[in-house]
Amino acid sequence: MRRATTVALAAGAALLARRALRRRIGASPLWPLPALEEPVSGHGARRSTVLRRLTVTERAEPAEGVVRLRLEAPDGAELPAWEPGAHLDLVLPSGLVRQYSLCGDPADRTAYTVATRLIGAGRGGSREVHEQLREAVELSVRGPRNRFPLVPSASYAFIAGGIGITPILPMLRAVEASGASWRLLYGGRSRATMPFLDEIERLGGAGGPGGKVTVVAEDESGMADLGAFLAASPTDAAVYCCGPEPLMDAVGAALGPGRTPHLERFAPGAATAGSGFEVELRRSGRTLAVPADRSLLSVLRAEVPGVSYSCEQGFCGTCQQRVLEGEIDHRDELLTDAERDGSMLICVSRCLGKRLVLDL
Amino acid sequence: MSNTPQPAPIAEERIELKARNVSFAWENTPLHWIPGDPFTGHTINVLHLLLPAGERWFVHVYKQVLPYITDDRLREDVIGFIGQEAMHSAAHDDVLPHLKKLGLDPTPYTAQVDWLFEKLLGDRTLPPGRASRWWLMERVATIAAIEHYTAFLGNWILNAETLDRRGADPTMLDLLRWHGAEEVEHRSVAFELFMHVDGGYRRRVRTWATAFTALAFLWQRGARFFMDNDPSPEVGRASLGAFYRAGRTGMLPSTPSMLKSIPRYLSRTYHPSQEGSTAQAVAYLASSPGANGGH
Repeated sequence: MRRATTVALAAGAALLARRALRRRIGASPLWPLPALEEPVSGHGARRSTVLRRLTVTERAEPAEGVVRLRLEAPDGAELPAWEPGAHLDLVLPSGLVRQYSLCGDPADRTAYTVATRLIGAGRGGSREVHEQLREAVELSVRGPRNRFPLVPSASYAFIAGGIGITPILPMLRAVEASGASWRLLYGGRSRATMPFLDEIERLGGAGGPGGKVTVVAEDESGMADLGAFLAASPTDAAVYCCGPEPLMDAVGAALGPGRTPHLERFAPGAATAGSGFEVELRRSGRTLAVPADRSLLSVLRAEVPGVSYSCEQGFCGTCQQRVLEGEIDHRDELLTDAERDGSMLICVSRCLGKRLVLDL
Repeated sequence: MSNTPQPAPIAEERIELKARNVSFAWENTPLHWIPGDPFTGHTINVLHLLLPAGERWFVHVYKQVLPYITDDRLREDVIGFIGQEAMHSAAHDDVLPHLKKLGLDPTPYTAQVDWLFEKLLGDRTLPPGRASRWWLMERVATIAAIEHYTAFLGNWILNAETLDRRGADPTMLDLLRWHGAEEVEHRSVAFELFMHVDGGYRRRVRTWATAFTALAFLWQRGARFFMDNDPSPEVGRASLGAFYRAGRTGMLPSTPSMLKSIPRYLSRTYHPSQEGSTAQAVAYLASSPGANGGH
């Protein structure tokens, strides 16, 4: 009799314990572990490995040799927000990945707009866009990311060469809406090959000398006079340039030492394009020179044993370092705008000015 | 010289390591990505719960161990390993918002895994010198034990043809096989690093026991979490029996093969290059859509 009572009591206790355990695990899947107050996993903003399938919903030719595509989610869903200067990676049907600046309206959250010029001698990306991306074609995109952000300034000088107008166009709209003063030099082979002229001239108001917009078509008036354009802009104006490499080099040269233009290069991960600068390692109290033909990482590796890095192409994030001072020239494909405020990937990114201070 | 048997690496299995910039489009992947078999899918989904925090932790620990490495070739391997692990962590992390969109918010579980790796296994305020070195080596050895299982699973998924036959979602399979292939590719690094900086046999056994117990606990609770919180009606419950049966049909690793892998890791002549095939891994990586632009 006593044995039966013991068995019954033990079975009851086991049942109660099981119920109690189930209740706890139901509320806390890894009970008895606590949870991190601010969850990290699944809550990041990078989303750097995610491709998005979009459909071409509109194809237009805003100028000779230029195609403009409107891309939307198949279910019409809202797309991630972007700011002027941002670009999108397009994974073309052949698997080629090409980057194109967004040139639509950031307030339109249901579509991304890109424009490309057909380049005969290019690496085939633009040809594929022009020939394969018809309406209703589906493709994958990555991003958007912004390597060419608009910094706050009282005045701006924009220089666009040909299709380089694409990242500049949303900037013009934003700057015009903000009331800051701005001027644009827009050059191209001929007016017929230069997209968005109507909108730009409308944004610029009255043309003519002293107007905001100077359009220079080579077949009409020869090469643009960069020096005169820059001389007519305030010396503290933020200078933005996108176009062929020789144009960007010319802008840098025309500005002279002490002023650095904001450039959009269509060669991602080019860790060694640009000028040399100095890096101060605040914690170890050393200053090193980074020559134009070396990456910041390669200079640090030689001097700081154990500095972390891995992919050396700006996507894995291992080499992220805190930046205490200096204007960063971000060239990676990973960091979010918030992360870019105070940190950089030293494998590909550089300095826009003369000096960078790292927390090393 | 001692007569203790030494690990026997197979030289041809070694390969230079480089992270791959992968991307995956998740829009068309359903919650039950193995049609009609939510249990198997969810058992594999536990990877998405553990790996974001777990592999972030690997990277965090390995960054600290770099200064202890005196062999240049091994340092190169560890640097390649770190980048691969960082990409694994990011890629699995990017699945989590998709699971949430499909009606299964993983946060209650992942927030606890975050605590496990960030707090319990994180850096501790220890006096510099022996104590902090001990804690670092303990974690390095734990990672070597876990990597024994990631290589085991990587080898399994590369050969799991049953999943293809059952119509598993191609994007999810590609994520798992890209990851699995890189695990096979770099399977020797964590073990060689441990042998290089410490290599103590007692530590190897102790950390294996901890890692094995923890993995069993986390996996069992993870599968249960998914099955209990799946928004579809009548998906059933997770059970050991279901796990055993799925293993018999090739949908999951078989229980006997898992048991047999235990003594192999504990053998004094064990070296990870003795298991799995680098050539097979590299062949998959060359054709993986996610690792080649993601189209």
